Amino acid sequence: MYRYDGIDKEFVADRAAEFREQVNRRLAGELTEDQFKRIRLMNGLYLQLHAYMLRIAIPYGTLSARKLRKLAYIAKTYDKGYGHFTTRTNLQLHWIKLKDAPEILEHLAEVEMHAMQTSGNVIRNITADPFAGATADELDDPRVWAEAIRQWSTLHPEFTFLPRKFKIAVTAAAKDRAALRVYDIGLALRRGRSGELGFEVMVGGGLGRTPYLGPTIREFLPTRHLLSYLQAILRVYNRYGRRDNIWKARIKVLVASLGAEEFAKQVEAEWEKSEQEPVDLPDTELARIRGWFTPKFATLAPASEAFEQAKAADPEFARWTRHNVHPHKQPGYAIADVSLKTPGQTPGDITSEQMEVVAELGERYSLDDIRVNYQQNLLLPHVRLDDLPAVHAALKAAGLATPNMDLVTDIVACPGLDYCSLANARAIPIAQDIARRFDDAERAELIGELKIRISGCINACGHHHVGHIGILGVDKKGEEFYQVTLGGSGAEDAALGSILGPALPANKVAEAVEQMVDVYLRERTAGERFLDTFRRTGVAPFKEAVYADAH
Amino acid sequence: MKALTGNRLADGEAVFWKDGRWVERFAEAQIFGDEAAALDAEGKAKAQGTVVVDPYLIDLIDSEGLWAPLSFRERVRCLGPTNHPQHGKQAAGGDDVEALRHAHGAARSTGRVNLIKRK
Repeated sequence: MYRYDGIDKEFVADRAAEFREQVNRRLAGELTEDQFKRIRLMNGLYLQLHAYMLRIAIPYGTLSARKLRKLAYIAKTYDKGYGHFTTRTNLQLHWIKLKDAPEILEHLAEVEMHAMQTSGNVIRNITADPFAGATADELDDPRVWAEAIRQWSTLHPEFTFLPRKFKIAVTAAAKDRAALRVYDIGLALRRGRSGELGFEVMVGGGLGRTPYLGPTIREFLPTRHLLSYLQAILRVYNRYGRRDNIWKARIKVLVASLGAEEFAKQVEAEWEKSEQEPVDLPDTELARIRGWFTPKFATLAPASEAFEQAKAADPEFARWTRHNVHPHKQPGYAIADVSLKTPGQTPGDITSEQMEVVAELGERYSLDDIRVNYQQNLLLPHVRLDDLPAVHAALKAAGLATPNMDLVTDIVACPGLDYCSLANARAIPIAQDIARRFDDAERAELIGELKIRISGCINACGHHHVGHIGILGVDKKGEEFYQVTLGGSGAEDAALGSILGPALPANKVAEAVEQMVDVYLRERTAGERFLDTFRRTGVAPFKEAVYADAH
Repeated sequence: MKALTGNRLADGEAVFWKDGRWVERFAEAQIFGDEAAALDAEGKAKAQGTVVVDPYLIDLIDSEGLWAPLSFRERVRCLGPTNHPQHGKQAAGGDDVEALRHAHGAARSTGRVNLIKRK
């Protein structure tokens, strides 16, 4: 895992000290709220319905035990003993006091963390494939590149006042576990004809009010030019992005209005005329960063007798391994998911005690490496097969072993109107209702992959546009209503969902999901996921089932 | 009828105007029947920049004989998150909390729209 050097450490500590001074000036009345708001937002501090919310950056979703323990401590000491992981792999604390915020930033700085790049019109925290460095299907560890972008982008003076926020995700595998097509820039590592590595560059994806899947503007960018090419994209955006209209200010609108081809042409022209060498990463620096991402794996047998025996003896463990355990590139290891989706609980929420448990397991069994994925779960990327039974037992004791990854109860939901000042409707209780209705592991397994995504407003933090079933909370004549979309996907088969029909009242949503699941079970052919069946049949049978009573 | 609310600067707590000071429980809030008096209080509240952030007036309705905010959003602010009934003001319980829970009205605040756009 990357470690800060002296400059990084000093910089983050200075930043915390600076914020302490700014908070004092605000409390003393030397700064007005308008002056102070942009400062607190630059440190991830929002004011929400009940308190301040601190959004802590977790670069490319990677944590060590020390960092996670610190988050547990902060949640216990300054919040109500829990935190909420987001679809941007950050952690939100919803009950923060302004007067405590500087002290919290100091605690974060101690463990090489901060809350910068989690708000404002800047390049936000970089995300990456959560299986990075562990999965066999990757060409390289994408975190090396994500870290390079992080260092380049943090407080980049030219890109501190962009037209709007800017999000970048990186993967290096064929499977898209980072939702690249809905990012401002999605970077997918590919191998060129000569064997050289390069990035497929997708630009202008995004969700929100006007969702777009980002088109590819360059099929192959040699990796050594990554930063200068990103600079060219951002310069074109910085120059032509719609600063006059907040709803049209994201790069997706610029790319859509120019067309991908014209946008690409402008980026290429900007890139050609800019000096690339001072921006592109020297090989020595790249090697230095890469050195931090080389875990020391043991040489193990590819199979484990202990693991096989446990699977045969314990059906619950076997079920967990079917859904929450994934193959690893290194023989004798596996990737183990930690579910934050126990039916009835708030998706993405984790208590301080649970954080402590995961930190302990990460340290003891996963080479001190813990990841956050954008589906609001955690995972332990490097667990020996021999250790899986012990890991499962510990997770189970802590309520973190629900065997439901990518199943109907693995629901993504934003905080919604229970916490967020932007929301129109609640998202969490809808997720809880649906999960309770399907709280039967056997049935969930029978239904198979079904990704439900819920947002409490059109800003789409809950990624509803790319849910197999997407649910959007709307304000309809003063009541909470929910618009359902079907057929979206944030994976390599990315698609935006289409609207099912008129919005449903809150108490009908879970029932509607069940009706649609019944249609799927009736219509599906062998091997078809919910999404596949929907793509084959279209919306008609689902619509018929949900709105039958209305006819 | 109206009440005046905002978030306390130091800790973000949702607070309500009562005769020139701020209280945490909605049940103790000053109720304005007179538009001019409400606007006057709002003006005074806006001058308290080191105490409260972005104060604004909210519309009220009758619920079980007690006043409750018209908008669901404001009722959530008065109570706490519905997914954690043990968190926020609702934890204290009482008739006023129950009245807020049972109230029905519009889901979105009036008077908060500008703030939402600026966030």
